[in-house]
Amino acid sequence: MKEALHVEWTKLRTVAGTAWLLAAVVLLTVALGVAASAVVSCSGLGCGQDPAKISLTGIAFGQAVVAVLAVLAVGGEYSTGMIRVTFAAIPRRSTVLAAKALVVSGLVSVAGAAAVLVSVLAGRIILPGNGFTEAHGHATLSLADGPVLRAAVGSVLYLVLVGLLALGVATAVRDAAAAIGVVLGLLYLFPIVAAVVSDPDWFKRLQRISPMTAGLAVQATTGVGSLPVSPWAGLGVLGLWAAGALVVGGSLLRWRDA
Amino acid sequence: MEATIEVTGLRKRFGPTVALDGMTFTVTPGKVTGFVGPNGAGKSTTMRAILGLDSVDAGHALVGGRPYRTLRHPLRQVGSLLDAGALQPARTGRNHLLWLAHSQGLGARRVDEVVGQVGLASAIRRRAGSYSLGMRQRLGIAAALLGDPPVLVLDEPVNGMDPEGIRWMRGFLRSLAAEGRAVLVSSHLMSELQDTADHVVIVGRGKVIADVSVADLIESASGDRITLLTTARTQAMTVLAHAGATVAVTGADTLTVSGLSGERVVAVLGENAVPFSEVSAHRASLEEAYMELTRDAVEFHAAVAEEAAR
Repeated sequence: MKEALHVEWTKLRTVAGTAWLLAAVVLLTVALGVAASAVVSCSGLGCGQDPAKISLTGIAFGQAVVAVLAVLAVGGEYSTGMIRVTFAAIPRRSTVLAAKALVVSGLVSVAGAAAVLVSVLAGRIILPGNGFTEAHGHATLSLADGPVLRAAVGSVLYLVLVGLLALGVATAVRDAAAAIGVVLGLLYLFPIVAAVVSDPDWFKRLQRISPMTAGLAVQATTGVGSLPVSPWAGLGVLGLWAAGALVVGGSLLRWRDA
Repeated sequence: MEATIEVTGLRKRFGPTVALDGMTFTVTPGKVTGFVGPNGAGKSTTMRAILGLDSVDAGHALVGGRPYRTLRHPLRQVGSLLDAGALQPARTGRNHLLWLAHSQGLGARRVDEVVGQVGLASAIRRRAGSYSLGMRQRLGIAAALLGDPPVLVLDEPVNGMDPEGIRWMRGFLRSLAAEGRAVLVSSHLMSELQDTADHVVIVGRGKVIADVSVADLIESASGDRITLLTTARTQAMTVLAHAGATVAVTGADTLTVSGLSGERVVAVLGENAVPFSEVSAHRASLEEAYMELTRDAVEFHAAVAEEAAR
């Protein structure tokens, strides 16, 4: 396993695309977080806004880049046929998949932590100017605040789980373009479909099983009681999606010809 | 470990297509074994099965007595090159070898050694995407040699190489076998294996048609025939036929004679004062021997089919 990790680390570090994509995760997440913090304002007590969630808006966009990064870690080997070289060198295919999952998770954690820290810091600086003040019932954004810390850590984990979901899907479909389509579809189509469902019960059900809507519940710091799923349970839903994708991908990997 | 490949009764279907139909042969150390047959005969599928990449419906392939997938550091036992294009173009050749080395617990020093061995040092820090096909083949050979394996499995390694590269590859394969390694090299062209292979496994439709040493194959195809160079072709044909030989014209001044020994040919020509410049034992080329063998196989198939139809 140690050798397999070394292999996957060497593979990812020796293509320029990895560094660019990680930088894009940070920049896109921070840029959209800053933009959201700059345009949303709180007019008075009970304005119904959630400052932590606003500052972390960029996660919903940075996830797309994370998905691309994870898909390419597998899909890039299938498109070139290099996957056969990999399996000739390491015949235990589950070990290869596990090593890829760990290395991608590590890289996404680092990029995600950087993106989240800068986003929260930007929110802390920008939001008070937009009416998010003590007078309107909002404390200054701080990671010392339990729910804010949960939102921040949860957002990093959210990105990691999106990466694992994408890795599993890419392993199952063996084609980078198709895998990116499936992953982005899973993430972004659920909220759109949910929006056109008029039945409130079904609306709530869809939100509960939607990997993105449920997963991002972990960012909520206000009105937690009225969420369709509780924050950690929501992240758990995304975790189940990721685990399911990895199990399906791993099983197909085992039974199919390389 | 004994450096052998043992393939026993491999069967595999892709849907309605039978890819392997009881493929059985052994590759022994110290020899280059050619693996020859037309495209679609099952060569690549067999090689993938040996390397544990494709599963089979029946039979087994063992390397040094063990299934490939149970080997701890497989590249230290079996070096392989299936497809020289199977690399990510954005990575440098050196980094491609580096991750492979890491997978076998080897380091950068071993990478530099094999790069020197295949003569790719000047280009190794360039993106592999910029390599010519010949350079990719060399990189693939370097990858196969990383673990200094006693067994090598190479799928069409000279495909796309220039004449100079082909000459290099031939010498290189011979030297690897001379070091005692078992070398299995596939090709769809028998002529590519001339002067390279010691032994050939000839396949068609997923099974072995012939498993024979190159020396025996050429000898049997050559028969007891004599090649005769003469400017007096008609005259020579007449007197030799009269002496009981079968004579065929194989060139402007060349006759192939069978049914008479070389000494008798010389004597008959001398008695009749027919001029000639050379008499030699006919030596078939590998390609010729292959054609003869596969023609027999085709005729055999045709005869069986006819019988079945009756």
